[in-house]
Amino acid sequence: MQERDLRARFRQGDPDAVREVYGSHGRLVYAVAYKVLGDRSLAEEATQQTFLKAWRAAQSFEAQRELGPWLAAIARRVAIDLYRREAVRGTDPIESVAPAHPALISSPDSAEAIYDVWEVREAVAQLPPEEQEVIRLQHLEGFTHAQIAERLGIAAGTVKSRSFRAHKRLAAMLGHLRE
Amino acid sequence: MTTSDNDRISYLSGEAVDSLTPQERADLDELRTLLETPATWEEPDASLEDRIVSAIAEESRRERAAESAPPASDTPKTRRRFGLIWPPRRPALAFGGLATVAAAIIVAIVIATSSSSPAPLRFAMVVNGTPLAPGAHGSATLTKMSSGWEIQLSATGLPHLANGRYYQAWLKNPAGILVPVGTFNDAEHVILWSGAPVTQFRSFSVTVQQANGNPASSGRRVLVGIAHPVR
Repeated sequence: MQERDLRARFRQGDPDAVREVYGSHGRLVYAVAYKVLGDRSLAEEATQQTFLKAWRAAQSFEAQRELGPWLAAIARRVAIDLYRREAVRGTDPIESVAPAHPALISSPDSAEAIYDVWEVREAVAQLPPEEQEVIRLQHLEGFTHAQIAERLGIAAGTVKSRSFRAHKRLAAMLGHLRE
Repeated sequence: MTTSDNDRISYLSGEAVDSLTPQERADLDELRTLLETPATWEEPDASLEDRIVSAIAEESRRERAAESAPPASDTPKTRRRFGLIWPPRRPALAFGGLATVAAAIIVAIVIATSSSSPAPLRFAMVVNGTPLAPGAHGSATLTKMSSGWEIQLSATGLPHLANGRYYQAWLKNPAGILVPVGTFNDAEHVILWSGAPVTQFRSFSVTVQQANGNPASSGRRVLVGIAHPVR
């Protein structure tokens, strides 16, 4: 009922409702777009287009569907369209294009790969901030526990226990534990 | 939790664990790969929320305006002129009139197609203030002309700058290359020009600059927006 009311207000262009939907799903939409496009400014453009498309289609949205997967599906389509637009542009000499540029990648990620990122990002967002930071430094930056301890100014034992707790929570949320 | 779960968590945490099967290892490696993916961590610019709210509010306003506007042509059943009601025309005369109109339309189409030039390439955008100017907002149209791209910017909420301080507008392409497109003191009605194609340089920003001989961007962005094609 609450979500239905939110969607009705979203459809009317109520700025509070748009902010509420962005607050709950904006980062996830951006993550989907970024996964496809690998570029900040294009991912932001795709996120904006996704919200505009969702706003235009909000009246036809089925009440029993969840908002998140619906937005993710729109974001993926929008991002793939942008990806194709970037891929056909081809005005820069190839040696001046960054290796990660979408035009040089053979094909966009599958829907499954994108939903995996969505799920992992959602799970990470539920961790306490200090555990998120340890996980980010360890996996994204490739730091060892000792380097994280030095970076954060805490004991290596604390990093190890935070890392264990955080991975345990993630594994449980993402179904990687047996019980 | 079983011992095996402890082993799985230790493996995820980066410790060497020998007791896992290859399948378990592959499942956990998949999760580790996802945790290493930048998309899992990348955060959008803080101004994106405001840009989206403004874009939707703008489109909502346009939609409401279109709904409340009267129809473009309203053909009356009886034609009035100087307060008199004209009698309906006889069919033969009416047919003659129709033929004249049809001929005129055909001539117009022939002229239009023979001298046809493509519709001007146009982009538009909503611009929003950054945390340096949270109250600023506005819009811009970007039109391809023979001499370059004309950018008509209209924004409110930015103070008039003087005494060596001024605004500078920029366009940026996805590779991060900045092109200056003009300087001004007041953002309410500004016409800027770009020699770089808006089809590629779609990210727009306005910075506050000081006339101190350094032409580079100060990085103090007060307005941002992304241009979208207008169909």
